[in-house]
Amino acid sequence: MAALVVAAAFPFYRAIAGSLTPEEQLFGGAPLWPSPPVLDHYRALFTERAFWLPIRNSLIVAGTTTVLCVTIGSLCAYALARLQFRGKTLLLGMILAVSMFPQIAIVSPLFLLLRSLRLIDSYPGLVLPYLTFAMPLAVWLLVGYFRQLPAELEEAAMVDGASRLRAFREVIVPLALPGLAATGILTFVYSWNEFLFALSFTLGPERQTVPVAIALFRGQYQVPWGQVLAAAIVATAPVAVLVLAFQRRIVQGLTAGAVKG
Amino acid sequence: MPAAKPRGAEQREARLAYGMIAPAVATILLIALFPLSWTVWESLHLHDLRMPWLGQPFIGLENYLEVLGDGRFWGAMAHTLWFAAASVSLELVLGCVLALAMNRTFRGRALVRASILIPWAIPTVVGALVWRFMFEGLEGWLTDDLRAWVPVILADTWKETPFVALLLLAGLQGIDPSLYEAARIDGASPWRQFRYVTLPLLVPAILVALIFRTMNAFRVFDLIYVLTSGGPGTATEPISLYTFNSLMHNLRFGYGSALSVLVFLVTFALALGYIRLLGRGLTETRQ
Amino acid sequence: MVRLGFQEDGVNRKLGWCATSWLALLCTTGCGSEAVGGPTTVTVSGSVLGKEGEILRRQLERFDREHPEIRVEMRPTPDAADLRHQLYVQWLNARASDPDILQVDAIWTPEFAAAGWILPLDRYAPDTAAFFPVTIQANRWQGELFALPWFVDVGMLYWRTDLFDRAPRTWEELDRDARRAIAGGTPRYGLVLQGARYEGLITVFLEYLGGFGGHILEGGRVTVHHAPGVRALTTMRNQFRDGIVPARALTWHEEEPRFAFQNGEAAFMRNWPYAVSQMQDGARSRVAGKFAVAPMPAAPGGRPTAAFGGAQLAINGFSPEADAAWLVIDYLTRPEQMLERAKLVGQFPTRTAVFDDPALAEALAIPPAQARAIVEAAVPRPVTPVYTQLSEILQIQLHRALSRQAEPEAALAAAAREMQALLDRVGLGRRQVAGR
Repeated sequence: MAALVVAAAFPFYRAIAGSLTPEEQLFGGAPLWPSPPVLDHYRALFTERAFWLPIRNSLIVAGTTTVLCVTIGSLCAYALARLQFRGKTLLLGMILAVSMFPQIAIVSPLFLLLRSLRLIDSYPGLVLPYLTFAMPLAVWLLVGYFRQLPAELEEAAMVDGASRLRAFREVIVPLALPGLAATGILTFVYSWNEFLFALSFTLGPERQTVPVAIALFRGQYQVPWGQVLAAAIVATAPVAVLVLAFQRRIVQGLTAGAVKG
Repeated sequence: MPAAKPRGAEQREARLAYGMIAPAVATILLIALFPLSWTVWESLHLHDLRMPWLGQPFIGLENYLEVLGDGRFWGAMAHTLWFAAASVSLELVLGCVLALAMNRTFRGRALVRASILIPWAIPTVVGALVWRFMFEGLEGWLTDDLRAWVPVILADTWKETPFVALLLLAGLQGIDPSLYEAARIDGASPWRQFRYVTLPLLVPAILVALIFRTMNAFRVFDLIYVLTSGGPGTATEPISLYTFNSLMHNLRFGYGSALSVLVFLVTFALALGYIRLLGRGLTETRQ
Repeated sequence: MVRLGFQEDGVNRKLGWCATSWLALLCTTGCGSEAVGGPTTVTVSGSVLGKEGEILRRQLERFDREHPEIRVEMRPTPDAADLRHQLYVQWLNARASDPDILQVDAIWTPEFAAAGWILPLDRYAPDTAAFFPVTIQANRWQGELFALPWFVDVGMLYWRTDLFDRAPRTWEELDRDARRAIAGGTPRYGLVLQGARYEGLITVFLEYLGGFGGHILEGGRVTVHHAPGVRALTTMRNQFRDGIVPARALTWHEEEPRFAFQNGEAAFMRNWPYAVSQMQDGARSRVAGKFAVAPMPAAPGGRPTAAFGGAQLAINGFSPEADAAWLVIDYLTRPEQMLERAKLVGQFPTRTAVFDDPALAEALAIPPAQARAIVEAAVPRPVTPVYTQLSEILQIQLHRALSRQAEPEAALAAAAREMQALLDRVGLGRRQVAGR
């Protein structure tokens, strides 16, 4: 157990150590801990490269995607879990199939599509594709989660005169918060880390996200390891914080979710 | 069990349902319909961007035939299958171990949970760079056909095990503790408890993990692109990297699209297989 | 029985409003902006990293002052060749009208030209005689010039002046010198170079090949598998086998050999000019002042060869501002600008006249006469639209031979078969194809 934790943390530790190492020592066997540790790389991130811009962009895109995905996904999942209608399997199949296509094949036509909608280099131009491809996991998890909530809850609300929709909004949703939190964090991480679409659908620093910005650090031949590692640490921080804050909810949320079948 | 609903109520319910699924369906149709159909369309044509004088003639299944006869395609397919099998099974096993360990209450559990999740939170390209950074100094790993897989599989396992562990942990926490009690009273060893109580009840969680991990392992791109670029030679080239080469490098859009459609079909078949094998009615409404 | 209370409908309505206005706000602020009337705007896409970016910005500002009716903007694209290529393909395939000017890699010109994506420049009557012939040759497709050479990168042999009196002129000499040098234990490596399975490997192999008098393509026929090619690949393979070149070089790109040489671990290095300035820095380099540069060795029957690399500027075929774009390109490739680049970034100019300028001697870290000789010995890779595919085939076989999974002769024969089949299939087999 402890071994696994160490194994998981080791590369991360190396990354932190590397980000604090002066440039010359970084190649061909960087030391395990630099002496003296330097903050040059972090400074360069924010002075030379204005790294706060991609962070802002990533936060906006990932945040919006998460909110929309959880909302739209929960509506869809509730319908699948509780309501009777024709075409359930078709719907599930369609949602799943969409995310099975290799991204690289989709990039070109998607670029053409977004361009005709004038959404290149814009926030919606990233949010919409992310939404589409984050939907399957969200819907799956939430379907399972909703199904394990006893049906009596809505029944009771509806007996009291509420519409189905209202019952959903005011009864189910508060109880489903852990499930929604889990879905939210999964979507957030996906959007935060996504690279190919972000590279292809943005044109400049005003809209580029963190993974793209890091990829742009590279020169033709050279990789400024110090700054890349520092950027990696900075890029991981928000997600790490979120995860730490919500980890109990997240586990709770996945509990008895899709995993119960 | 509620009484059978009257006709009107059924229709109302269906209408409500359509309304609720509408945003999702609309988004997917808007974004995915054109690219997917375009890809299928392209796969049936000869379309080489470098040589526009050849036009864009319809050639039916010729691209597919070429793909099936291409040794490098089968190699890439084999690599992908091998990669998916190795990393997913490793992730399942390790994830299970992690989940079992995290299921117990102990001090600092929150911190442990959070630190386990960190690798998963790092952007793939960055994680891959860090792994490359670590292995580049070591002799004989990235240069060897077989051994180059080790950093690749390790890097993927490192990144994705937390996700699997989370799913399995959730499944574990859903198991009624009284079942374990009963098993213990009957004198079952921890292993037998695991084998006959835990494992069967964990199957739904395993199914979800399997489906999503396999789907993603099949589409692995960033990780290998950064770590080995498919090398040495084409020894670690997965199918998505080969597709990328055909599309963006060689500008053969017709051929590359055919590759993509084939990958999609294989992934779809795998998912169906999993569901049939392990899953139950996922669209049944629990009454 | 569960007790439930209901919230005010008002709260929900407010939430709905919030959501809609948030979305609307996103769309309006987020949507891409369009250029309005006013001065003509020309966008340049290229390397805007670090010093290169600074120089470009400075030169473009000067241009702006000289031409107030034209405004030039920079659009950063990744320096990693693959990524930039992918973006270009995406934009040009979508017939995007911007960026108007593209910084193009040495091997992309015929590909983009054949696809109809970049403009032939002959109508502007560029002064092609002022540039090195090889730079013009590499940018011609079917007789027309499609890009202006901006700066040139050539493969060079770096050698340690503290270990040897002069640079080896033949491969045999180099092998001998290298063996002698590493016999003592330091330096560790005899020769370090780019051996990973990527385009860089072809550039290295091209230099061995030229040194033995061979070519990859000659007039549409593949000749890499003829005797000179086999000799070249065998020489290279033997260097790996005998430990003159370390086995780990099979994963190396440009930076790894540079670090090895810079830390004093190698007697020789094959690399591009960019390494010079960093290795001259006494604070970071252990070989500052202890190395020099020479053309790559040759063998009887061949001549010293350098692989031609570098950047050229092309005009987007769908750009509505082609004439304005031409003015920018023309300005950026003037001798003054090239000299400035050489001074600040160390990049070799592509105009012959600049090498006669005494100011260049201070600018370049190596004697201009030497640099000029190497540039004049440069050889382009085959100038054909299917080059990337040909290169891939050859890369795979070369790498197999070097990692001793195949014999050089068999590997080259296999490569040649596949390459010729490809050329014949796409109808370029017997056409006039530039490239040696």
